Amino acid sequence: MPHGLVTRLRRVISRARVVAVRSTRRGAAQWRASLQLRVVTTALAIGLAAITVLGLYLSTSVRDGIYDQRLAAIDREAAALTDQVAQNFSETATASDGDLQQLLLDTITTLGATSGSTADEYFLLHELGSSSQVADFASRADLKDLLITSELRAANVASDEDQVLQAVGIPAAGDSGAVFPGVIVGSTVQATPDARYEIYYLYSLEPEQETLSFVHRVLLAGGFGMLALLGVVTWTMARQTVTPVTRAATVAERLAEGHLSERMPGARGTDEMASLARSFNEMAESLQDQIRRMEELSAMQRRFVSDVSHELRTPLTTIRMASEIIHESRHQMDEDAARSAELLLGQIDRFESLLSDLLEISRFDAGAAVLDAERRDLRDLVMSVVEQAAPLAEKKDVRVSVRLPDADAAADFDPRRIERILRNLVVNAIEHAEERPVEVTVAENDRAVAVVVRDYGVGMTKQEVEHVFDRFWRADPARARTTGGSGLGLAIALEDAHLHAGRLDAWGRPGQGASFRLTLPRSAGVQVEEPPVTLAPASHEPGVLTGQIPVVNQAAGPTPTAIPDLSEPCDAEGRATPAATDVEVH
Amino acid sequence: MKVRVLVVDDDTALAEMIGIVLKGEGIEAVFCADGDSALGMFRTHQPDLVLLDLMLPGKDGVQVCREIRAESGVPIIMLTAKSDTLDVVVGLESGADDYVSKPFKPKELVARIKARLRRSEDPGPERLVVGDVEIDVTGHTVTRGGERIALTPLEFDLLVALARKPWQVFTREVLLERVWGYRHSADTRLVNVHVQRLRSKIERDPENPEIVLTVRGVGYKAGTTR
Repeated sequence: MPHGLVTRLRRVISRARVVAVRSTRRGAAQWRASLQLRVVTTALAIGLAAITVLGLYLSTSVRDGIYDQRLAAIDREAAALTDQVAQNFSETATASDGDLQQLLLDTITTLGATSGSTADEYFLLHELGSSSQVADFASRADLKDLLITSELRAANVASDEDQVLQAVGIPAAGDSGAVFPGVIVGSTVQATPDARYEIYYLYSLEPEQETLSFVHRVLLAGGFGMLALLGVVTWTMARQTVTPVTRAATVAERLAEGHLSERMPGARGTDEMASLARSFNEMAESLQDQIRRMEELSAMQRRFVSDVSHELRTPLTTIRMASEIIHESRHQMDEDAARSAELLLGQIDRFESLLSDLLEISRFDAGAAVLDAERRDLRDLVMSVVEQAAPLAEKKDVRVSVRLPDADAAADFDPRRIERILRNLVVNAIEHAEERPVEVTVAENDRAVAVVVRDYGVGMTKQEVEHVFDRFWRADPARARTTGGSGLGLAIALEDAHLHAGRLDAWGRPGQGASFRLTLPRSAGVQVEEPPVTLAPASHEPGVLTGQIPVVNQAAGPTPTAIPDLSEPCDAEGRATPAATDVEVH
Repeated sequence: MKVRVLVVDDDTALAEMIGIVLKGEGIEAVFCADGDSALGMFRTHQPDLVLLDLMLPGKDGVQVCREIRAESGVPIIMLTAKSDTLDVVVGLESGADDYVSKPFKPKELVARIKARLRRSEDPGPERLVVGDVEIDVTGHTVTRGGERIALTPLEFDLLVALARKPWQVFTREVLLERVWGYRHSADTRLVNVHVQRLRSKIERDPENPEIVLTVRGVGYKAGTTR
């Protein structure tokens, strides 16, 4: 049982600690986050300290003042009373103890009735050390033994004519147990020539105590009031200062998001805040101006490229038609002229593709490219592109194999653009394959479809992979260009992929080939996080030809029949190649 | 009879080159270098086909196209240096049947011209009915309740292609091949624009077509005969 209790207790404590730590953290976070909170808290802390010190000083002074005054009054009054008693004693002759007894009783009664006396109780005691038959007198007998201690009496007797003051606590009447402050004044008086009596006056300081409590209450209330006022004042002031800063921060954020026409309100005025707003707005204005100028410049450049491309088209048409006419009649020319006609036509083709690529890029730059998406199956498009590339593959003696998933790879895309990307990737792969195989793999999952085009040819270094999508960049400038191509193909392909919210990634290693992966979302515009197939392959040897359909320009070997399950190779591939140069372009 | 083509283009070198190419195909070319005189030339020479550049001094190609279309159904092929969506669509909507983007190959141009000049071989008397519209294929007329509806030859061909097989849904690619004579897939906007033009002429309410129906995601088909 105790064990269980301990465990529970421990659990409760640890939970409490967690809560405490959490709330502390939350508080600390708020403290750090809010300037206003910091200002108000600091002001309150300083205010509290100041008011406490001031309050203590005030209450001490007031208390001392009140008590000192009262004590002086008591001292005077007691002396007067004693004089009166002494006079009374000296005027009355006392013959017997009985007379003395009567005199003492009368004195006590008289004292109680004396106007100008504020003492609460009176005590008449025969002198300490003397013996007397006459009883002591006290207006309240119960207080006599309690308050008038032997030390007090000894001091009183020793002080002779002077008065003795002693602070005491007076228990309140009844059983409440409350004790009020009081003062006992002691003196001696010669009752008869041979009998000295001690006389004591008890003064209650209860009224003073009450006054003091009242003063304390007022001080406390005043202090709290001051503190509250201070809190409100600093909060308001901090707010007045912080609000424009917060507003400036918000506006700056909006500016950063590209809302360049955002401005800070409150710029009219002469105070510091208005000046802040003005400077801020001036900054924003100049920023907007700069950006607008840059945009204009860039738009002008883009328009220039576009215009040049357009203007070149008409003469190019004439040149093309003329060169074709010449080309057709080349058989009637001499050898050199005929060859020239062939070269002319070939170069015009190249010129034309360069021009159309330039125009396409300028359209992307101008943001004028429009996605004309429709639902199509990527498998069909891949097949069609591979079939179109067959003559080139045959010419280059490259085997192209295609692996398709069983499930449909339908997605929303612009077939013209995607076909262009695929053609580019496949033709590039064939051209760089160096008579080694090219593998085209289509994969799909719930959210995306993808195609990987892999060759085992020259490959690329890491630097080359990083630049492969750059405009007019060529993997190997020294390499003789055997086919046309503008150097814009992959740049356009990347733009096309982005237009679909898709991705185009490249991988390569020198001597081991290159791999390009195009990933497209199933639904237009949805961002793809995880492509359905890995880019970098595990093996750097061409896969065994099993089940690929179709195989273009197939080498002699067993005829594939089985269709492979793509989901497995997808997982098996790539994961084990951390050293692979893998660049993903988004 | 020799076929005559009116070439409206301000680039004289290109126009002359087109003339040379057409001459090789046995086609006679007449030239016009600005938009303002194009309509006059058209009326004078009554060509079988018009090749029209979109960017012209004076009236622009779109305006000229509208004016010619207003008085004739003659095939019009636009020559355009801009393959940008908007220009092509504006050109087609102004009444052009087809377009060729510069720079084009001579063979491509000739193929486009021939496709538009090709008269369907005489199939014998043939009458088709789609909805409440009657088509006299031989007489090249379309009537609704005895009232004649004027269509350009291209619109007529489009309607006939659909009406001959009312049970079949035609994809845009198939229509491009049947009506425009494209072998490879081309700009399917051609089909869209001309279906809109055709509907605006033969439908009672082009917003709710009854003659040429859209089959979502596939293409078009003829409406049912009532």
